[in-house]
Amino acid sequence: MRKSRGRQKVEMVKMPNESNLQVTFSKRRSGLFKKASELCTLCGAEIAIIVFSPGKKVFSFGHPCVEALIERFVTRNPPPSSGTLQLIEAHRNANVRELNAQLTQVLNQLEMERKRGEELNKLRKASQAQCWWELPIEEMEMHQLEQLKASLDELKKNVTQQADRILIQTSSNANPPTQLIFPTQIPTPTTTNGPNQQPGLFVVDPKNIISHLPFNYGSYGSRGFF
Amino acid sequence: MTRKKVKLAYIANDSARKATYKKRKRGLMKKVSELSTLCGIEACAIIFSPYDSQPELWPSPIGVQRVLSQFKKMPEMEQSKKMVNQETFLRQRIAKANEQLKKMRKDNREKEITRLMFQSLTAAKGLHGLNMLDLNDLGWLIDQNLKDITIRIDSLKKPSLPQPQAQAQAQAPPTTQPQTAAWLMELVSPQDQMGFVGDDMLLPFGDQTYNHNNAMWSNAFFP
Repeated sequence: MRKSRGRQKVEMVKMPNESNLQVTFSKRRSGLFKKASELCTLCGAEIAIIVFSPGKKVFSFGHPCVEALIERFVTRNPPPSSGTLQLIEAHRNANVRELNAQLTQVLNQLEMERKRGEELNKLRKASQAQCWWELPIEEMEMHQLEQLKASLDELKKNVTQQADRILIQTSSNANPPTQLIFPTQIPTPTTTNGPNQQPGLFVVDPKNIISHLPFNYGSYGSRGFF
Repeated sequence: MTRKKVKLAYIANDSARKATYKKRKRGLMKKVSELSTLCGIEACAIIFSPYDSQPELWPSPIGVQRVLSQFKKMPEMEQSKKMVNQETFLRQRIAKANEQLKKMRKDNREKEITRLMFQSLTAAKGLHGLNMLDLNDLGWLIDQNLKDITIRIDSLKKPSLPQPQAQAQAQAPPTTQPQTAAWLMELVSPQDQMGFVGDDMLLPFGDQTYNHNNAMWSNAFFP
């Protein structure tokens, strides 16, 4: 799933391709502001950067603020200093400190998720080497598709039943049942290895399963993972 | 250069801070210059530091003045529309990072539930330990997969080509317009298990007026 071209060596001339130029501007401008922001935080510098886009829009970054810095440059005056101003600046710096901490935290969480994602990808690849049913369905043959479908249908029934069981249990904890509704044990599944069965897949005899209330996903207001 | 992770906070150590300032200031100037050259745009940078009474400038004092006057000429609203300071900039970065995090978590959750699905399929893992949330998502994912499989099965069955064992059914029923289209698509990209050469099959299957059609079919299937 390689989307970007990675680090490329770039010749220092105006980019020939118009759309690449636009993308480059967007990315590099963002990176430039990020570097400026870091320099301000790390070393206590006060920086103003003004950049015109290829579309003639203007972007600017300024710490503490663009206008004040421009003023200071133009008039060549040392920055004004007063009790009030120092207080304002201290307050602003405290905000920035907190925001930086927040940003760091989110970036760390992001990194953790990324690593977790890679782990999961690795595991998936490994099991795809062992199990044909984990491969993309586009690569399957008809008999494989049909068997997988049958197994999934069965699994679906089990999931529904298990969900019902939990539902009943949670509601019955409030009102102890006067009689048993469900069997106390789910039937032990038997793996049948008929002529159409590929080894490894597990199919439960439907006769062993009693399903009662249909499990309505809608009642949980969930559409999956969204 | 070493790639140690730097904490995003004011560097307390004076000499370390000064060294960092020198390096990063140089790097920043380089980046502005590159941006300007690569994209053919005007830019300027003004850097005030505790180490120098005079600001560091790019491209040059005159260059900065030129860009500043260009900037000032623009309407007030245009100037401030894309103006940020530390606070606003950091908030934007935080928002973007949170978006990415949300998406990544969702993708990882789907990967986990997929794994769970395949594990419970082979009874490697029971459904007992799962809570309602997991069961809910698992059920949803199973439904998604069943839907895709059904679509796939249908698309393979659609072209009503006779199976090898249905030799007697060489006469195919006349096909309606959309079915013919699907069948033609099937021709264009024949399935491996069909095992015939595409060239033989250019004549429409549903055309019953030419008997030799069926003969060609027979030849193709049963060499």
